[in-house]
Amino acid sequence: MQQLAYIGRRLIQLIPVLIGISIISFLLVKLSPGDPIRLLLGPRATDDAVAAVRITYGLDEPLLKQYFIYLGNLLAGDLGRSLRYRIPVSDLIVQFLPRTLFLIAYVMSLTLPLTIGLAIVAARHQGRWLDQVIRIFSILGMTIPVFWLAVLMARYFGAELGWFPVSGWGSGFMSHLHHLFLPALSTSLWLIPLLVRNLRGALIEQMESDYVVASRAKGLPESYIFRRHILRNSLLPTLHLLGVMIAFLVGGSVIVEIVYAVPGLGALMVGSVIGRDFYVVQGLTLVYAIGTVLVTLTVDMLTAVIDPRTSA
Amino acid sequence: MNDLLTVENLNVDFLSGLMRVEAVRNVSFTVAPSEILGIVGESGSGKSVSCRAVLGLLPGHARVNGRIIYDGKDLGAMSANELSLTRGRDISMIFQNPSSHLDPLMTIGDHVAEPLHYHFGLDKKNARIKALELLDVVKIQNPEQRYTAYPHELSGGMKQRVLIASALACQPRMLLADEPTTALDVTVQASILELLKSLNRDHGLSMIFVSHDLGVIAEICDRVVVMRGGEIVEQGSVNQVVGNPQHEYTRLLIGSQPGRLDSYNQPSHEGHALLEIEQLSVRFNDKGGLGTLLGGRSRAVNALDNININIRSGETFGIVGESGSGKSTIARAVVRLIEATSGAIVFQGKLVGDLKGLDLVEYRRQVQMIFQNPYDSLNPRASVRQTIAEPIWRHGLATQQDANERAIELMAMVELSENLANRRPRQLSGGQCQRVAIARALALSPRLLIADEVTSALDVTIQAQVLKLLARLKDSQDLTIIYISHDLAVVRKFCDRVAVLRHGKLIETGLTDKVFDQPANDYTRTLIDAAPELDSALLNAAAL
Repeated sequence: MQQLAYIGRRLIQLIPVLIGISIISFLLVKLSPGDPIRLLLGPRATDDAVAAVRITYGLDEPLLKQYFIYLGNLLAGDLGRSLRYRIPVSDLIVQFLPRTLFLIAYVMSLTLPLTIGLAIVAARHQGRWLDQVIRIFSILGMTIPVFWLAVLMARYFGAELGWFPVSGWGSGFMSHLHHLFLPALSTSLWLIPLLVRNLRGALIEQMESDYVVASRAKGLPESYIFRRHILRNSLLPTLHLLGVMIAFLVGGSVIVEIVYAVPGLGALMVGSVIGRDFYVVQGLTLVYAIGTVLVTLTVDMLTAVIDPRTSA
Repeated sequence: MNDLLTVENLNVDFLSGLMRVEAVRNVSFTVAPSEILGIVGESGSGKSVSCRAVLGLLPGHARVNGRIIYDGKDLGAMSANELSLTRGRDISMIFQNPSSHLDPLMTIGDHVAEPLHYHFGLDKKNARIKALELLDVVKIQNPEQRYTAYPHELSGGMKQRVLIASALACQPRMLLADEPTTALDVTVQASILELLKSLNRDHGLSMIFVSHDLGVIAEICDRVVVMRGGEIVEQGSVNQVVGNPQHEYTRLLIGSQPGRLDSYNQPSHEGHALLEIEQLSVRFNDKGGLGTLLGGRSRAVNALDNININIRSGETFGIVGESGSGKSTIARAVVRLIEATSGAIVFQGKLVGDLKGLDLVEYRRQVQMIFQNPYDSLNPRASVRQTIAEPIWRHGLATQQDANERAIELMAMVELSENLANRRPRQLSGGQCQRVAIARALALSPRLLIADEVTSALDVTIQAQVLKLLARLKDSQDLTIIYISHDLAVVRKFCDRVAVLRHGKLIETGLTDKVFDQPANDYTRTLIDAAPELDSALLNAAAL
């Protein structure tokens, strides 16, 4: 009950955030240099033609009214039309989004088991050589830039050995897995070290906590204490970091998508920015922002489920 | 005689850097079936370490030597696996701080059920039935309802009951209790002691009861071991050790018990009013900001509710109460660390709430405060001399040079040797740190000194010294002292008048002797009866 009330409260708090997002994405186009109408009609359009189109698009209205029109369209699911592709922006996003989501899910399914495994090994061997090896590789992973690693892996595993394709995303589930392996791996290799260090620290802290001693005094087996008490308590801080990282990945997938030519949201974003495709940029900004909000919300809800104290 | 537990020549040392630090030396004791053995000692005496060594609960860098025989089995020779079968099943343990010894993410029912599952192989349903019985035994009301509660939803005393239930789930014959009531309020402490006594009486549970408080030990134990600096100083029956102590340290320990201290209170004192607290209320609002605005619950707590207290010049005024009673809030309101919601505080005829600028600085010079934890209230980077001198030159009362000289005089006044002047707080003991804090407060020649639980973090022998010092300074420096404490025995000896607080309300106020001997309020009586006291505990034991 308490948890439901907490989640309800959390959802209500989303309303001002979403309004803020809509205002910013609206102003983004208004404030950026260049006139979308001129871009649409081409350089040789007459001023009269521009003015006429301006009226049909409602761009002569006061700013506040324009915002409410924009908001109304948003609620109806209308994000405008792409100037370049000449199709609704929403269709475009629906087409590109699954690839990025697939990539993120792939990254996570590689990252999570490795993170938990490595962190547990490091924490249990605290200060011994296995811990040191993991530490050294963690530092390496954190310092090597993703784009460089991506290029390097594409060259070696893709071009040299020919194990994996270096571009596109294939057709069919297995083919997706095959195509996206290198992009997912190079992102994971950057993500895992951060999470491992975070989780290792939390595990070590919890291993020394009082309730562990109390559990031992009751004669509970070590493996059970670790699984049921230590791990659970350690996961919370890492879960929060993971939330931030996933939110970051939604935008951060740009680099890998470009390097491996994966036709996802990141690639679309870069193409639209370069091509001055205003409404696509606006729509994507909205999608990124809402994505971030949803991830944070999910993390908060998971936390509320795991930790009864948060909803108290 | 067949002893249940025999500890012979126990030695424990810890690896600290490259050094081995001895924590326990040549400790030997026995516990008979159904006996309660007390181990008393001050911090660092090795009492907890000895206790944990019995169950093999010390961290990996500890080295344990000696024989630990439980019921014919050599615990020291057991493998980790065998030992974990013994823990909880034969011997179990409870700890000082129940909050940190419970997993915050596990329901209290599961805490009690999990050892049943592991030792007896009970399935979920049967473990639950048994756990409910246990919660009932430790007197948790409505166990069915509380079963799914989490630790943070329970009070400290309740948590300790849960910890006891989970330790006793598999019916061990022996319980190690490591300061189980130290973090609890006196009334709660009394009920937990009663529970432990009944478990001993009805179920024949043997116990080792570790405590720094001889009064508590006398209340519950048959025999006592006195430890100091990792060694046993003396052991024997409680009556024998207290009545006829053989060792000098035991005599010092007994003489330092608050009940045995000289009385400092001078009830005939009649000074003019120095500080008047009139209808003081403090409310804490939970300012949730946006969250509260958007449907979050807003919570307001009445920390203080209509408090009226007059403090006369030259007296020692005690404020007692349990945790959450608002006693520290009064102190904070008086020095304006927090603002009063309503009511007035008048100091020497001036309204404290209206003071501004230099007047406020002057007021804060005249009213000084000393805090509970001496380490936390001193700047770790400043030397003793700098710490004491700083307020003097900051208030512009002297040049830095003169202030430094004055600091040395003040050190002498609080009986600190001059060669400690350049030490940092971490190079000092707790008692020395508290003396530095007192000297710093006295540096500004205040009229009013507020001492907030100043001896609570100190050992009893040190507490006795600090109280003696404060009493002497009060006379020589013409001080008025507000002494805030949860320890009734200390307040009784130290304060002229006393106010009893509960849940932010003033329950009773009056001359100390009168309040203690003829309390007008039931709560005051409960509080006084619950406070463990060495001599009354001995009398009770003799009467049984």
